[in-house]
Amino acid sequence: MLNNILYILFNYGSALEVGLRHTIIITVTSYFTGLVVGLLIAVLRVYGGRWIRGVLGILVEIIRGTPMMVQLFFVYYALPEIGLLLNPVAASIIAIAINSAVYQSEYIRASISAIPYSQFESALSIGLTKSRAVLTIILPQAIRVATPALVNEAVYLFKYSSIAYFVTAPELMYIGKFIGSRTFLYVEMYIVLAAIYVATSIVLTELAKVIERRYVIPGLLKSKA
Amino acid sequence: MKVDLLVVEDLWKFYGKEVILKNVNFNVEKGETKVIIGPSGAGKSTLLRCINLLVRPDRGRIVLDGDVITERRDVHNIRSQIGFVFQHFNLFNHLTAIDNVLLGLIKVKRLSREDAMRKAKEALLSVGIAEDLWRKYPAQLSGGQQQRVAIARAIAMDPKIILFDEPTSALDPELIWEVLNVMEKLSRNGMTMIVVTHELGFAIKVAHEVMFMDGGTIIEKGLPEQILLNPRSERVRRFMERMWYLYSMDRKFWRSENAK
Repeated sequence: MLNNILYILFNYGSALEVGLRHTIIITVTSYFTGLVVGLLIAVLRVYGGRWIRGVLGILVEIIRGTPMMVQLFFVYYALPEIGLLLNPVAASIIAIAINSAVYQSEYIRASISAIPYSQFESALSIGLTKSRAVLTIILPQAIRVATPALVNEAVYLFKYSSIAYFVTAPELMYIGKFIGSRTFLYVEMYIVLAAIYVATSIVLTELAKVIERRYVIPGLLKSKA
Repeated sequence: MKVDLLVVEDLWKFYGKEVILKNVNFNVEKGETKVIIGPSGAGKSTLLRCINLLVRPDRGRIVLDGDVITERRDVHNIRSQIGFVFQHFNLFNHLTAIDNVLLGLIKVKRLSREDAMRKAKEALLSVGIAEDLWRKYPAQLSGGQQQRVAIARAIAMDPKIILFDEPTSALDPELIWEVLNVMEKLSRNGMTMIVVTHELGFAIKVAHEVMFMDGGTIIEKGLPEQILLNPRSERVRRFMERMWYLYSMDRKFWRSENAK
C-alpha cells in the first residue's frame, strides 16, 4: 500500500500539483470575490433603502435555497444558451463565488447586528457621515466578530471546490479520479487526496488563529483560540 | 451682552402615536451650563438627541449660533460642532484611547497628523488622562477613565456646545466624582453645556439654570436653588422630595429629628 502511494506520488506528482494549483485558484478567487460581494450585500442589506433590502433579501434566499451543483450546472451548461460560453475553471469560480458571497454576506450581516447601535450613534455624533461611520467604526469591529465564521467558509470552500469535478475542471478531485482510473489504485489515490485536503485545512485553520490573535481587541473579546 | 447660543422653539417628537416631546422651548446662553432633571421617560434623552439631530424632530426649530440647524441637510457638519457624551461612554471599542480622540480630528476636521496629535494630547491631559493610558483600549480602562476619554473626544473637536446624557449614571461614586470634577472645570472655563443628570450636588454647584422635564415637556425652570429646594409646581416638589430622601439631605428624614 505504501509502495503504491509512493508510486502515485512519484509518477503523478506533477499532475497532482496541477490539480492542487487549480483547486487553490478556484478556492482563493471565489473566496475573495465572495468576501467582497458578500460584504457589499451585507452592508446594503443593513443600511440600504427598502427596495435594495427587499431585492437582495430575495436574491439571498434563492441562492441559499438551491444546491451549489444546480448553480454550477446553470453557469456551465445553461449560460452558453444565451451565448456565454465559459471554460470549466471560470464557470466553477463564478458559481462558487456567487454561492459563497451569499453565505459570507449572512455571516457579516449577523456580525454587524452584533455591534451595538450606540457605536454607530457615537460615530455620527462626532460628525462622521453614515457611510464613513460604517466603514471606520462598524465594519472593523464586525469583521473581527465574523472572522471565525469567515475562516470556516474558506476551509469549507477548499473542500467543496471539488464540485468543479462535475464540469471537468482539472482540480484535485478530477485529477485524482483520473489517476485512479489510469492505475486502478483507487484506495491509495483517495488516501492521498484526503491527506492533501486535511493538510491544507489544518494549515488554513492555523493561519486563521494567527490572524484572529493578531487583530483581537485587547480586553474586549477574550477568545483564547 | 448675553448671547443665545442655542434656541429651541416649539419642538415636537412622536414615535408613532406616542408623544415623546411636546412644545419644548428654551434658550441656552453662550457659556451657560443648563441642567435637565426629570423622571425616566420624560424625553430628556430624546431632547438631547434632537439637538444634535441624531433624532429628527417632527416639528419646531433649533437654532445653533444663528444657524437654523433643523433646516440643514448636511447634518454631519452640524454634529461636528456639537459634542455629545453618552451614558455608556460609547468609545470606539477597536481603537485606543488616543485614537478615539484622533479619529474626529483627522477624519472630520481633516487636521494634519501632528496638529491632531497635539490637540488630542491636550484634550486628554485636560481631563486627567495621563500618557500611560493613551495606548489602552476602552475595555482596559475603568468606567470613569472611559467617560473622561469620551469627554476629551468631545472637547478636542472645539464644539460650540456639549450635551451630556446622564454621564455618570453608569458609574460608582468615586468615578462619578472624577467625571463631575472634569465637567465642573469645563463649565468654569466657559464651555456651553446641557447636562441631563440626577446629580443634585452638581446641579446646585455648577448649573446656571435647572429645567425639570416630565411627559415630554418642560414643567418648570429656574435657578438651581429654586427648582431643587423650593419648586412652584406640585409635580416637581414630589420628585424633589424623593430625591432629597435618597440623598438624605433633608433633616426631616433624619432619625434624630424624627425621634423628637
